[in-house]
Amino acid sequence: MNTSAFETFLARIYVDTNARARFKADPYAEAKHAGLSPDECAAIMKIDWVGLELATRSFAKKRDAKARPIRPSLRARVLGFLCRVLDFFP
Amino acid sequence: MDVRKDRVGLGWRPDLAASIFEHLESIDILEVIADDFFDGSRRERRALKTLSSQIPVVLHGVGLGLASCESVQTKRLDKMARLFEEVRPEFWSEHLAFVRAGGIEIGHLAAPPRTSQNVEATAENLSRAISVVGSRPLMENIATLVDPPGSTFSEAAWVSAILEAVDCNSLLDLHNVYANAVNHGYDAREFLKKIPSSRVRAIHIAGGKLISAPDGSTRLLDDHLHDVPDPVFDLLEEIAGCSPHPLTVILERDGAYPPMPHLLAQIQRARLYLERGRARRTATQKRFA
Repeated sequence: MNTSAFETFLARIYVDTNARARFKADPYAEAKHAGLSPDECAAIMKIDWVGLELATRSFAKKRDAKARPIRPSLRARVLGFLCRVLDFFP
Repeated sequence: MDVRKDRVGLGWRPDLAASIFEHLESIDILEVIADDFFDGSRRERRALKTLSSQIPVVLHGVGLGLASCESVQTKRLDKMARLFEEVRPEFWSEHLAFVRAGGIEIGHLAAPPRTSQNVEATAENLSRAISVVGSRPLMENIATLVDPPGSTFSEAAWVSAILEAVDCNSLLDLHNVYANAVNHGYDAREFLKKIPSSRVRAIHIAGGKLISAPDGSTRLLDDHLHDVPDPVFDLLEEIAGCSPHPLTVILERDGAYPPMPHLLAQIQRARLYLERGRARRTATQKRFA
């Protein structure tokens, strides 16, 4: 098995909604179209469909979270400021 | 890394910073997400250095994607090497995961097909990482909601094969073991028996939640937003009972932060289960002495 091509195919169906929809509609055709061998197509067709659905949702949430700027909450910032002030006046 | 006793600490998160500083005496060690500082300002990196002078710090990478047939990106490795050099942590760690392939960024840790080709490629990536950073990372098992298709290795055999191939030690994430066991129908304790306990140097503990699947079933999501469940503490006692080396345990919490005393209580509970496991190990050794 060419694991590299397999990884790329998995990455695509994890991220690309259209590719995932095509894969669900016709798993063999989509895998073959991506260049996977007949053995690899047979292997990918055994995927845990429920797990795939949940995993893609989880990955999407993570990508969304990363796209948002990371900033400590107001409480954390106020506490941090107070700590620095208290540290300055022991 | 010359660690002589078990320690329990916490994952450094900006939201927890002030509370951590208030309770440094109750925390043995902090784990910092390395990637958050790769492009950090000079001030942020200096702050991290200052932090590491006050309390032991370890670096945890999330974006190298070492368990992949794709070569690890030189730019990212260089950033890890630079940060490692600046902070001089006790150790660094990364995940046995792929995060990108064929130019596609998954955005999170994904389980690759567990094949011999993947073991070889991961070993190559790890060898390069060791050479560039100048230190062997501890490698962490991941949680996966989807069992990777096309796999010819069990997870335990695959993890063991990689650690063996590059002579690396393990950061064993016990909630990941528990979640995978729940989701893929195996016994978490049996998993622990199949991985080399002599390679375990660090432990992650965390919590998750059950989520509903479209078919009406439930799966356990490793979201780090909940308290550590009892079975994970039991697994901690189990691994402490068979690991010959001191363990560094890190409590991971990524949001829905409770008051600090609540997190400290979980840290204290981890110490208790570690001690119980160690006591069991000592008793067993005495019996066979």
